[in-house]
Amino acid sequence: MNQPVIAVENLRVSFGGTTAVDGVSFTLHAGRALALVGESGSGKSVTARSLLGLSGGRAAADALEICGQDARDLSDGQWRQIRGTRISMILQDALMALDPLRPVGREIGDALKAHGSAPASARRAQVIDALAAVRVPEPERRARQRSTELSGGMRQRALIAQALIGDPQVVIADEATTALDSQLTALVLSQLRDIKEQGRAVLMISHDLAQVAQLADDIAVMRQGKIVEFGPAIEVLGSPQHEYTKTLLQAVPSGVPRFSSLSPGSAVPQCPARPNTTSAALRVNSLSKSFGGHPAVQDVSFELPRGKTLGIVGESGSGKTTTARMVLGIERPDSGTVELLGQGFVPQRESARRELRRQMGAIYQNPLGSFDPRYSVSQLLTDALSQGRTKRSSQYRDEVARLLEQVELDPALGGRNPVELSGGQRQRLAIARALAAKPAVLILDEPVSALDVSVQATVLDLLDRIQLETGTSYLFISHDLSVIEHMSDAVAVMYQGRIVEQGPTEQIFGDPQQDYTKQLLSAMPRLR
Amino acid sequence: MSRTAKILSLAFIAFWLLTALAPSLIAPGDPLAINPAQAFQKPGLGHLFGTDESGRDVYTRVVHGARDSLFIGIAATALGMGLAIVLGTAAALSPRWLDEAILRVLEALYAVPSLLMALLIIAFTGPGVGPAIVAVGLSTAPGYARLVRSQIRTLRRSEMLEAATVLGRGPWAKVRNHLVPNALKPLLALVTLGIGQAVIWAAALSFLGLGTPPPAPEWGAMLSAGRTYLHLAWWMSLFPGLAIVVVAAGATLIGRALGGKVKAL
Amino acid sequence: MAYLGWAARKIGGALVVLWLVATAIFIGIRMIPGDPAEAIMGGPGSQASAEALAAARAEFGLDRPIGVQYLMYLGKLAQLDFGTSYSLKRPVTEVMGEVLPNTLWLALVSLAAAWLLALLFAAASMRASRLGSWLGSMFEIIAAAVPHFWLGSVLIMLFSSALGWLPAVDNGTAAGLLLPVLTLALPLAGFLTQLMRDSLAAAMGSQFALAARARGESRLMVFWRHGLRHASLPALNLTGWAFASLLSGAVVVEAIFARPGLGRSLLSAVLARDIPMVTGIALFSALVYILVMAVAEGIEKFIDPAGAGA
Repeated sequence: MNQPVIAVENLRVSFGGTTAVDGVSFTLHAGRALALVGESGSGKSVTARSLLGLSGGRAAADALEICGQDARDLSDGQWRQIRGTRISMILQDALMALDPLRPVGREIGDALKAHGSAPASARRAQVIDALAAVRVPEPERRARQRSTELSGGMRQRALIAQALIGDPQVVIADEATTALDSQLTALVLSQLRDIKEQGRAVLMISHDLAQVAQLADDIAVMRQGKIVEFGPAIEVLGSPQHEYTKTLLQAVPSGVPRFSSLSPGSAVPQCPARPNTTSAALRVNSLSKSFGGHPAVQDVSFELPRGKTLGIVGESGSGKTTTARMVLGIERPDSGTVELLGQGFVPQRESARRELRRQMGAIYQNPLGSFDPRYSVSQLLTDALSQGRTKRSSQYRDEVARLLEQVELDPALGGRNPVELSGGQRQRLAIARALAAKPAVLILDEPVSALDVSVQATVLDLLDRIQLETGTSYLFISHDLSVIEHMSDAVAVMYQGRIVEQGPTEQIFGDPQQDYTKQLLSAMPRLR
Repeated sequence: MSRTAKILSLAFIAFWLLTALAPSLIAPGDPLAINPAQAFQKPGLGHLFGTDESGRDVYTRVVHGARDSLFIGIAATALGMGLAIVLGTAAALSPRWLDEAILRVLEALYAVPSLLMALLIIAFTGPGVGPAIVAVGLSTAPGYARLVRSQIRTLRRSEMLEAATVLGRGPWAKVRNHLVPNALKPLLALVTLGIGQAVIWAAALSFLGLGTPPPAPEWGAMLSAGRTYLHLAWWMSLFPGLAIVVVAAGATLIGRALGGKVKAL
Repeated sequence: MAYLGWAARKIGGALVVLWLVATAIFIGIRMIPGDPAEAIMGGPGSQASAEALAAARAEFGLDRPIGVQYLMYLGKLAQLDFGTSYSLKRPVTEVMGEVLPNTLWLALVSLAAAWLLALLFAAASMRASRLGSWLGSMFEIIAAAVPHFWLGSVLIMLFSSALGWLPAVDNGTAAGLLLPVLTLALPLAGFLTQLMRDSLAAAMGSQFALAARARGESRLMVFWRHGLRHASLPALNLTGWAFASLLSGAVVVEAIFARPGLGRSLLSAVLARDIPMVTGIALFSALVYILVMAVAEGIEKFIDPAGAGA
């Protein structure tokens, strides 16, 4: 094979006393894609940034060759010659990766300005060409707009144009698809595929194996600063050798049947006969809501049977969250009703339904914001158990311990502030708090979207177990089709404020009727 | 706030409270005692900070001056903050038109710079400690009020209060358990920052001859007297000025440690 | 179009604010105990002549109902007629025309100097060691805690009395402006640095700064193109406040450096209880404040039209 464009041997990066990258070696060839896969803190991003001389820590390597050039002892000036022209980077969040105060055309043109001194008019023409090349319509107009004025898809394209304008041989995509909904993810993946087909090398940094499988020729699995498994994508995904790779693969929920465990340690009890009731825990009748004349939710109706899970899936802006907020009685609907356990819940005076609220709990994507920052873990739970009467009574100590045990949280964490907990621990705490009142229904709005895959797996397993043990019904809202498929008994697909299709999970995923559902499913990255 | 920072802050506050409430413990002399034979003594063992044009001990006067300067600063901040809590809360909880009206009033208060507003008030009332307090208090109120307003608005829309609603908490429990305690903390930081600035403004009024009348020991008034003898007796200006700087900088440090931002002033 | 609407709203808001200030002053004058004519003429101690009192009564319509008095007062203000200063025996507008440029010039130069100092300090703190940035934050806190009236004295003591480098009173030269400007600018720079440092650090550590570096830009370019904009936003946001604090400081600084100006005129007017003069100065400074705010807001809109950085 020809010479690699990137060759790294025994790369080590440390910050202060802590080692972030510990002996990483790999090579990358032109026209190929390598994925560095790992969870937060695995050192994958630091590795990628070291290839640009921007690790921010102390980096050393036995070999670090970029396009045949030894890059171990480059000065900052020499690095700048390489950045943007031989190797460039697409960062995670387009909104944050383009300066909100400057027109995107200027941002893209800066890459040219940094190298050589083409006249301004030539630079402008090149910027327009670069935007057109990533299929931005009306590139002249877009170039004058700021990133905050662009739509999500436009922004992603501008970000990619920014990375390609210097005609680099290597493009690093650092979590470039994280937190995007499925259509945008598909867009970025296809752009990356184009880049690969242009003969450039792509280094993809991701935590999501299913997405990586779409593009990567080779996969390196990273954990705690080391590459634990490295090989062709087919082999790594098909017959993983390392335990950690297996854990990661097992954690991907798509295609895994309900109540099958996603994480190694957790045993979901084998399905006792689940109550086969038809009585509805929650009944929603034609909810509608407009904001300033724009309909956000239109005529949404569904039923959630007792002890079952209804998944609501849709892209951002489809009205899922507004629906959830109306069901929870936080947002007042323009019309429509919600019944909880056969009693009217919406519309209703707050004082009249306060007692009924104990039957309905809520879990948010970012639970930290829903905790009073002055409360410790056990104070939050005491407050919930005592219905707001006290936060420090010892009377509830046993119940607090039982709740912590139920969500598999170490009782020693009781004295901590939620800020000190990890994302997964915070979500467990939120679940424990919601369970304090023994509710019949939990509304879960993107509960695992901010979590690493393996943590997501343990939280989903926990939710499964709790449903089997307590018979709580879930209204499970997510943009992630694979999570919805794994968790739901029935699914409702939302698009532009309406439910376009609903039915049993197998039917929606196996035999979708509506075009939108088919389109959504075809964009879904799958492993199995 | 770290443990050391807490201890240092408390020690700082305790020291100045002691100085203001019982100055004789630290400086047993009489701040008004005149001794013309001892005029313009340089700082030394006999007179730690030197003496002024009438032979009064500058150290004793600086220590005794803490009472007036701090009292005006604290009273003015209390007045400004009290007004701000009323106006800010009202604006945050009112319908839009009333909110707009209150914002306009605040802007009008803002539009007249603090010292000018103080002078304006004194033009109507004549000089004195009372007018100085009212003047400084009124001129600091709009800044605080804006913060109170935005604080309450942010909290009202917070996920924390939403979660409390979902948990079935009544309005009273939400206000008592979450809204008030969470709104108070940044206010405390702001008050601490504000006292430092209020002390400076109060001293400025005395410096201009519009606050505490001489010969009472007050830092601003002492600086005003010291200015006449600047080339003769630098110590008359240095030490009262340092006292103001130490109080104001200390208050800023504590306020920042409490999480305060100068932005809000 | 959007700008026209914005300007209309601004002007409307400004008029409301001016009206509120004028009304507050009117109420303030009426709250002075005793004969209002005497109060306007400098209080009972001023021994105003009977003719002077009669002239004041006629001018302010004091023998008419209070509502009429109020309207007459507003009508005069609308024509920019602030009456006659009793202590100076000259129309207030004329006196203002003489002193206002002095003070505005002083305040503007000081504002520019404070911005420059703050930007330098904020930029320097980016590259500073731990000790350096600790010293920097100590400096900014102490600078913000130094009263103008003391700083002015200390600067005179150092540079004028002891070293003899700079004149202590204004003699019309640039050197004469230096000490007053430093006195005004240093405390303000302390405040502005505190503001700028946070947002500068946030901008320099942001994703878009990293992206810019990955494109091949140097740290200096990133600072120049991105850091500066983001750092100036919060400080720009407070320009109105900063300018107001400079006008306050000008009262003291003009007294110390014996500069003719708005502050000094106000001080002597207050000491003489010259109400028309005081009213005029208060309203004029409110007007100046509103203008400065509008300009600052315009610049802010130019840098950040979408309000993304706010």
